[in-house]
Amino acid sequence: MSVRVRLPALFADRIDGVDTVLVEATTVESALRALTDRHGELATLVWTAAGTLNPLVMLFLNDRQLDRSGIDETVRSGDQLEIIPAIEGGGGRWRSKKSEVRRQVCPQ
Amino acid sequence: MRIIQNGAAGDPQTVLYQRCTIDLARDAIDIGDVGCRNLEEVLGGFGRSFQYLATRDITDAFAAENPMVVNTGVLTGSSVMTGLRTYFSSYSPLKVSNTGLPAAMWSAASGKFGSKLKWAGLDELILENKAERPVIIVIRESDDGPKVSLRSADHLLGKYCHHKILTLYEEYPNAHFAAIGPAGEHYDACYYAAIALSTENLLKSGDDKCRWAGRGGMGAVLGSKNVIGIVAEAQDRTAPLSAETRGLNKEIATGPGSRKFREKKKGGLGGTWANYEPLEQFHMVPQNNFRPIGDGTPELMFRDALEDAFVIKAESCYRCGINCHKNIYERKADGSKGEFRAKFDYEPLNLLSTNAGIDDPHEVWPLVALVDHLGMDTISCATTIDYVLDYNARHPEAPVFNGATFGDADKIRELIEQVGTGQLPELGQGSKRLSEQLGEPDYAMQCKGLELPAYVPDTNPGYPWAIAGGHMSMATYMLVAIEGDTSLAYWVKAITERGLLMVRDDLLGVCKFSGLNAEAAAGILKDEVGLDVTRDELLAAVRRAFIRGLWLERKQGYARDDYTMPAQVFDSPNPAIKAEPFVTREFFGALSDRVWEVFDREIDSLPPPAAP
Repeated sequence: MSVRVRLPALFADRIDGVDTVLVEATTVESALRALTDRHGELATLVWTAAGTLNPLVMLFLNDRQLDRSGIDETVRSGDQLEIIPAIEGGGGRWRSKKSEVRRQVCPQ
Repeated sequence: MRIIQNGAAGDPQTVLYQRCTIDLARDAIDIGDVGCRNLEEVLGGFGRSFQYLATRDITDAFAAENPMVVNTGVLTGSSVMTGLRTYFSSYSPLKVSNTGLPAAMWSAASGKFGSKLKWAGLDELILENKAERPVIIVIRESDDGPKVSLRSADHLLGKYCHHKILTLYEEYPNAHFAAIGPAGEHYDACYYAAIALSTENLLKSGDDKCRWAGRGGMGAVLGSKNVIGIVAEAQDRTAPLSAETRGLNKEIATGPGSRKFREKKKGGLGGTWANYEPLEQFHMVPQNNFRPIGDGTPELMFRDALEDAFVIKAESCYRCGINCHKNIYERKADGSKGEFRAKFDYEPLNLLSTNAGIDDPHEVWPLVALVDHLGMDTISCATTIDYVLDYNARHPEAPVFNGATFGDADKIRELIEQVGTGQLPELGQGSKRLSEQLGEPDYAMQCKGLELPAYVPDTNPGYPWAIAGGHMSMATYMLVAIEGDTSLAYWVKAITERGLLMVRDDLLGVCKFSGLNAEAAAGILKDEVGLDVTRDELLAAVRRAFIRGLWLERKQGYARDDYTMPAQVFDSPNPAIKAEPFVTREFFGALSDRVWEVFDREIDSLPPPAAP
C-alpha cells in the first residue's frame, strides 16, 4: 500500500527539505519504519532508544489524530500520514518545500 | 508601498514605501515616499527599522532623541491569512548591556491596527522627541493620501488599555487602535510596559481581547514620548483572492504548519497551551521560578483539567482560520458561557501559575487579566515577580516588597497592581537590575536584560543569542525535549543556521503561527505584492537582518560576557528535569567560541549603516 507521509519542518530539515515521502506499508508502524529505514537521519526523531514511538510525536492519519495505540492501525493505499511534533521550538519553516512523491510518481 | 517596476530584489530602489515622521516636540508632521536600499527594507518590520536605529547614538531609552519606529511588513494588510503584524522598534529600557546602554529591540503584534495603518496609506510612522502633553496620534485615509494629526489624550489617562481603546472606538468607529495602559503612563517605574492593539472581537464584545507588542518595554518608550494611543482609520480592503492566495490561505488554516495552534475539533493540538502536557513528561514545565520539582502539579493546568471549570473558546484576530486565541469564560451552573475571564496562552498561564507556585486556575486568571488591563508584558512582569517570590523564599528573615512568596496569589496580585501603576519602580525595572541590586543575580531568569519565556534555560543554551526575546527570535527553546541532542556540533548549527531564521516573519508581516515555508513565502510575495524574490534571496535578507541585530548589540556595548545564561543553570543542575544536564560552563564556553566564530565574521562584514 502506498502511503504518503507528510513531515514537519523539523524533520524535513534533516533530509534536505523533503517534506513528503511515499512509502509502502500495511500499518502506521510499518509506514514509519519504512520512512526511517530510507531516511536514517529521522530515526532518533521518530523512535526512542527503546524502539518505541517518540512520545512527543503526534500522528494524524487522514487528518484524524491517532492515540498511542494507533500505531497498529492498518493503512490503505492513498492514505496520508502526518507527523507533528507535540512541541516545536527548533523547527524551521524556512526550508524549501520538496517532495519525493513528485519524483516517485512522476519519475520523468 | 509602491513598486515602480518589478525586480525588487535586484534593485530595491524601485520600491517606495510611505513614511510619516512626527516631531512630537514641535507638532511637525512630514509624509513622503522613501526608496528602499536593500531587500530588508523592502520586506519591512525590523529589517527596516533596525537600519534606522543603527544610525543613532542612544544612551538612554527615555531620552527625547530615541526614536520609536512603528511599521508593518510587506504582507501586512494583504489578503494573506495572518498578514496583520505591526512592529514597534526602539532602543529598549529593559534590554541593556552590562555597560548600561540600551539595546535596539522590536516587538510585534497582530490585531487589525497594522492593516488599518497600511490601508490609511502609511507603511511606517517614526516618532521623534516628546510631546509636551499626553497625545493621541490620529491617522486617517483621504483622497489626498494619509492625514495625520495630534490631539489631546487627557480623557484617556488612567484607564486600562482596553478601556482606552473602547473610548477611542466610540469616537472613531471605522478605526483600529494602539494604546498603552497605566504601566506605560508610568513608564519610568515600569520598563516592561506593553502596547495593546485592538481586535475585531475586542471592539464588538467590549472584553479585554487585545493583542500585545509586549517584549522589551516598547510601551514604556511610547509612554516616555507622551503618546497614549494611535488611531488608524481607513476603509477595509477586501479584494477578491487570487487562486494562489486562496490556496495558501487554505494551507495556513488547515495545513500542518498551524496544526499545533488549532483546536482539537479542527484537527489541531489546542494552541500553545498544549505545550503543558508534552513538556511535563520531562518535568520541563517551569515551577517556582524556573525550577521544576516534578511533583505533577503542572497537570492541574492541563487544558482538559480546566474544561469543567471554564468554557474555552478559540477566537482570532481578524480573518484568521487558525483561531489561536484560547479565551476562557466563566462556566455557568447550566454549563453555558458566562463572562469573559482571560486569554490563556502557555506563557502567561505558566508564569503566573505553577512558576509562581499557584495551582488553582481560579486564582490564576485574575492575575493574567490584571497584567493585561494594566498593559504590561506578562513574560517580563511575571518572571520578575517570580524572582521576588524565590528571593523571599530564600530569605524568610528579610523578605522584600510585601513579602510575597510562592503560591501567595493575593500578595502577587498586590505586586502586579502596584508595579502596573508605577508604585514599585524597583520591581518595574526588571529582573536583571533588581537582582543585581539585591546581590543575587544567579537565579534571575533573564538574558541580556530580557526575561526568559516559560521554557527552562537548563534545556536551551541558545537563549543568549536571541536578539528580541528568547522564544521570538531564536528557535532553540524546545529542542532538547523533541530531539534530545546535546552535542556541541548540533547546538552550533541550531543557533547559527536554523534558529536565527525564526525572525523571517518579523520582516514579512505575517504571524509565526502561519507555518509558511520559505518557498511559499517567496511565492506569495510575487503573487500578492508583485515582488520578484527567490527563496534564497529571502533567506539571505533575513540572515543579514539578524546579523544586523547582533551588530547593534555590539554598538551598544554588548561584549562576550553579556551572552551568558543564568548562573544557576551552570552551578546547580536541576535533578528533577528528565534530561541530561548538558549546559555546563565548559559546554557553554565551547559553544560560545564556535558560535562567535560564525557570527563575528558576518558582523564584521556588514556594511556600515548609512543615514536614511
